[in-house]
Amino acid sequence: MVDLNKKEYRKREFLYLVPLWLLSLIVPDAEDLYSYQRKEFKKRDFFYLVVLLLLPLAWHDPHFHHLMVLAGIYAILAMGLSLFLGYAGQISLGHAAFFGIGAYTTAILTTRYGLPTFLAFWVSAGVAASAAYLIGRPILKLKGYFLALATLGFGEIFLVIVRESQSITGGVIGIFNIPYLSLAGFSFDSYLKQYYLTWGVLLGLLLFSKNLVRSKVGRALLAISASEDAAASVGINVAKVKTGIFVISAIFAGFAGSLFACIMATANPEAFSLGLSILIVMMVILGGMGNLYGPIFGSILLTYLMDILGRYQEWSLPIYGVILILLLIFFPDGIGTRLGIRLIYLISYWSKKRRRDEGKL
Amino acid sequence: MDLWPNILQLLSSGITIGAVYAMVALGFVTISRASQIINFAQGEFVMLGGVTTFFLLKSVNIPYPLAILMAISIVVIIGFLLYILVIYPLRKASVLILIMATLGVSIFLSSTSGLIFGTLPKALPPFSGAKPFQVWGVSVVPQNLWVLGTTFILLIILYLLSHRTLLGKAMEASSTDPLGADLLGISRNLMTFLAFGVSAGVGAIAGILITPIFFTSYNAGPLLGLKGFIGAVLGGWGKNSGAILGGFTLGIIESLSTAFIPSGYKDGVAFAILLVILYFRPKGILGSPFMDSRRW
Repeated sequence: MVDLNKKEYRKREFLYLVPLWLLSLIVPDAEDLYSYQRKEFKKRDFFYLVVLLLLPLAWHDPHFHHLMVLAGIYAILAMGLSLFLGYAGQISLGHAAFFGIGAYTTAILTTRYGLPTFLAFWVSAGVAASAAYLIGRPILKLKGYFLALATLGFGEIFLVIVRESQSITGGVIGIFNIPYLSLAGFSFDSYLKQYYLTWGVLLGLLLFSKNLVRSKVGRALLAISASEDAAASVGINVAKVKTGIFVISAIFAGFAGSLFACIMATANPEAFSLGLSILIVMMVILGGMGNLYGPIFGSILLTYLMDILGRYQEWSLPIYGVILILLLIFFPDGIGTRLGIRLIYLISYWSKKRRRDEGKL
Repeated sequence: MDLWPNILQLLSSGITIGAVYAMVALGFVTISRASQIINFAQGEFVMLGGVTTFFLLKSVNIPYPLAILMAISIVVIIGFLLYILVIYPLRKASVLILIMATLGVSIFLSSTSGLIFGTLPKALPPFSGAKPFQVWGVSVVPQNLWVLGTTFILLIILYLLSHRTLLGKAMEASSTDPLGADLLGISRNLMTFLAFGVSAGVGAIAGILITPIFFTSYNAGPLLGLKGFIGAVLGGWGKNSGAILGGFTLGIIESLSTAFIPSGYKDGVAFAILLVILYFRPKGILGSPFMDSRRW
């Protein structure tokens, strides 16, 4: 009798374990990102790559391609912010400004000075980096709310400057007719090509950040996130590392901005407001702090959410606000993390409950 | 060149807008004295105060004083709801999550009020006469005096509340030493709840006072809230007197700056002041009681 019951449990637990096991195949392993050993190319990474390569070919829908291009750009932004926010534990609400700096640099250089887009792509990252260095040195000694406010202030100043200096940036109207990114005569002019371009850049930056996180700098970031005083006491130059990671995340934002300008063919100040900064931070929070794959999933999720909400026109913003608050209340440490905890909890709860019920019988 | 009267005129309008910043800053300080939370939706209370009064006055046809009282109580109830629905579930969350949640509330409140009350800017009739009178060659609207007088009265009331009553002491205790407050049997949740109500009320009053002078539209909230916060930081974070001083200083500097640089850059001036003050003296002009704590 007892044995039979036990077998019954095993069968049922197996039922719950199958979806979990399937989930564990797809969901990236957090251990990878923290371990010192250089891991070989895993089956799981191969799975991602194949899905990335084949998805747009299998699902041939221009709207889907366009959304995935946007999601890729946001993912680059969110991944850069994830290094600053998730790993180093600092807050930035002004990342849209670096995105905007990247976009405007590309726009101005290509339309006014006729620079090749490929060159402008690198220059815009450089400009974003130098802006981040100049602004980062003074404000990164702040913490918490005050850092958030200072970065937000930087974003607002950027917007004011862009709106007012009409001779350079075109004011509120913005800049039009930015050429598509082209390299050696090959122009990325269709959504499909742009998809591969964006996700290719994202992949390169992902490899860079994976290596960065595993390096000495990555350890220093985690130490700073835990306690700045403790990090300083073991010989980490806190100010230097914080500025460095701020600059790196600004470079990511610069790349993303340049891609955005080339793909959308326009740059206007509305696209780089506080709303975008909030959206990027939400992507990082939903993906899970201290995780590199998380922001990518978060950006895909939120890009789709924004697309769906766009159908409700004037109702979209109130619904967006409510969804934002609900997500923060129910998933404050990321959807993946929280769902994993919930699943494990549910499984243990169900089996315990069943055992308890059996005991009563 | 008649620069001097021009500057006096700018000074007068700077003092008026400074009074509004000071009231918004008082709202921030009231919450921070009770819980060390910063409510980024504070500017929305200001907007809601003005817009709700306009709605009650013009669409429901309620007499002016009654409409003002009703608008203030509605906004206070919204403040209480904000605490119950958003801040209370997140009371143990990190700083970042709280910032994002209050920004989400800000998006929700501004867009919802745009939906309900319309997106056009609203202007209330002045409290007592619209005829400006001359003081030293500067024309002053009676509404300016209302703004100044109310700011002064609010400052006194909030001072008495926080320094002369047991409730104020309990609020301050729950912010400066949470564990000690718990041991003394002070309900920290209740204190924060009340602080949200008070700060919503102060915000609503500010909104009602400025709507006759500056138009209030549904999306005015975030900028007003941020400038109020900058005022609070400028004067000395966590002090009522600092909030008043910082608000007036910010208003006057911002207004005078329009004499020297294009007025489009006016919003940038406030944030430039913020960056300068955060870099050189993060505790503000008057010093801050919270600045030595680890959390900042």
